[in-house]
Amino acid sequence: MSDIVLTMTGVEAGYGGGLVLQGMDLALDRGTITCIVGPNGAGKSTVFRVISGLLKARSGSVKLGEREINGLDPAEILRAGIAQVPQNRALFPEMSIRDNLLLGGYAIRRDKALLKKRTAMVEEMIPLIKERASEHAGNLSGGQRRMVEIGRALMLDPSLVLMDEPSLGLDPKSVAKVAELIRGMAAEGRTVLLVEQNVRLGMHLATHGIVMEQGQVRLTGDAKDIADNPEVASMYLGKASGT
Amino acid sequence: MQFIQILAFGLLLGGVYALLASGVTLIFGVLDVVNVAQGAFLVFSALFTWQIWDLFGFEPLLLIPLNGLLMGLLGWAIYRGMLVRVAPQGPGMTVLLMFGIALILEGILNLWFGNKFKSVTPSYYLSSFNFGDIVLPMPQLISGILAFITLGLIYAYLRFSWAGRALRASAQNKEGAALVGISQRSAASLAFAIGAATAGVGGVLLAIMYPIFPATQYDWISRLLGIVVLGGFGSIPGAITGAMILGVTEAFANTYLPQWSSLFFYGAILLILLFRPQGLMGTKTREDVVA
Ligand SMILES: Nc1ncnc2c1ncn2[C@@H]1O[C@H](COP(=O)(O)OP(=O)(O)O)[C@@H](O)[C@H]1O
Ligand SMILES: [Mg+2]
Repeated sequence: MSDIVLTMTGVEAGYGGGLVLQGMDLALDRGTITCIVGPNGAGKSTVFRVISGLLKARSGSVKLGEREINGLDPAEILRAGIAQVPQNRALFPEMSIRDNLLLGGYAIRRDKALLKKRTAMVEEMIPLIKERASEHAGNLSGGQRRMVEIGRALMLDPSLVLMDEPSLGLDPKSVAKVAELIRGMAAEGRTVLLVEQNVRLGMHLATHGIVMEQGQVRLTGDAKDIADNPEVASMYLGKASGT
Repeated sequence: MQFIQILAFGLLLGGVYALLASGVTLIFGVLDVVNVAQGAFLVFSALFTWQIWDLFGFEPLLLIPLNGLLMGLLGWAIYRGMLVRVAPQGPGMTVLLMFGIALILEGILNLWFGNKFKSVTPSYYLSSFNFGDIVLPMPQLISGILAFITLGLIYAYLRFSWAGRALRASAQNKEGAALVGISQRSAASLAFAIGAATAGVGGVLLAIMYPIFPATQYDWISRLLGIVVLGGFGSIPGAITGAMILGVTEAFANTYLPQWSSLFFYGAILLILLFRPQGLMGTKTREDVVA
């Protein structure tokens, strides 16, 4: 069996008229953490939307192992083993934390024993979920909300986890907790693809790095090399990219 | 004593309003569609009840499950057949579609029943229930209680079943729901079916309380929209609270100033909205509904 979990080749996708992704390529190895960086509007979140089936690619292919997943609906992709923690608020604010978690297992709702097992697994990993089970998700702080979102994504025991700017708006303590969870996932053999605005944090966490610009890959490599790349450094010092 | 009697009457009436308005607000919460055809669904179910009662003469309340089911199916079919196609064009278009459906239903009812009041008058129609000094008309008492029971069943379904959870999830965060594998389309179909089913059940309840004719749909839809706006569009607890307030207001106005009763109904809405423009429990403002 090949060790490549996910491949994207020549993917074009967009909203309405324009193309956001213009020939996007990507390959993720099992158990690695890959971090995508790039300016706002580069199409990083769009890559995630295509992988998780919220947006269909117009051309190109997205493969999970050997299986083409472009065109499947989000529920099927979820069942195939890909979960996403999106950039924007993803919880159901007027439901309890317990119900939010349970809904992460919506796809396995008929298997009560499995659902119970997964709930216990996630509760152990993220104690907050058990401690505040009956509180409404809308009352949580940003950091706590992220933890519940991550827990919810783990309910289906995904082999690939997509995380869009997981540190956005969090206090340093929460960022550390999230980082720890991400490392833990990779250690368990899950593959993680993340987007980070905080390049230093992202590349520190990641094994591989990808720099995206205008819907394409500009640079890929080991996370360390990307972090040390002078071009990347200059990009994030605010100079115009590509100069 | 009279005070308690009027209050009890108002709460029973409020229960019926609550059931009907919950249907409208549930549909809005999941689909962002203002179902202006709810009044027509209601009158359709009420006149259907009259027809069956007139033909066969059996207890009209037995029609509750049947009418609920039939209107639920009709709602489901309207969603799958038409609304799902029009929905991407925004609330303006969906209101037009639902208004068109209301007019068509009213037209059919006019052809069938004529423009005349129909009254369902079962044996208990004029009887009342006496509890000490409190006297409540039997039809209102039965309808109020059945409305509360139906609301309780809907609540339990939404709260404890997976389909109900999925429906609420979709109402609270569409993208979040999609990401856990909930199909917006099935959540929306279910919401529309339940919303329309409340009109099916409510139509039977109205039929034993009031004389009905096709054009009374306008009166009903304006009341229901009033209640939903008062409660906050999309909020079921809001709709129930609003319905109770208005039921009680109407009961008191009917007793002391009967000619002014509608004024009090809409006046109360205006007054409350002055202080809470988003409605009692709403999170969306009224602009969001129109925009
Ligand atoms: N739902 C949407 N509808 C229309 N355009 C969108 C939508 N989401 C993103 N875009 C556009 O697509 C481009 C890429 O967005 P995104 O993938 O979110 O970028 P990033 O995550 O890299 O900041 C942007 O120009 C953005 O305006
Ligand atoms: Mg983004």
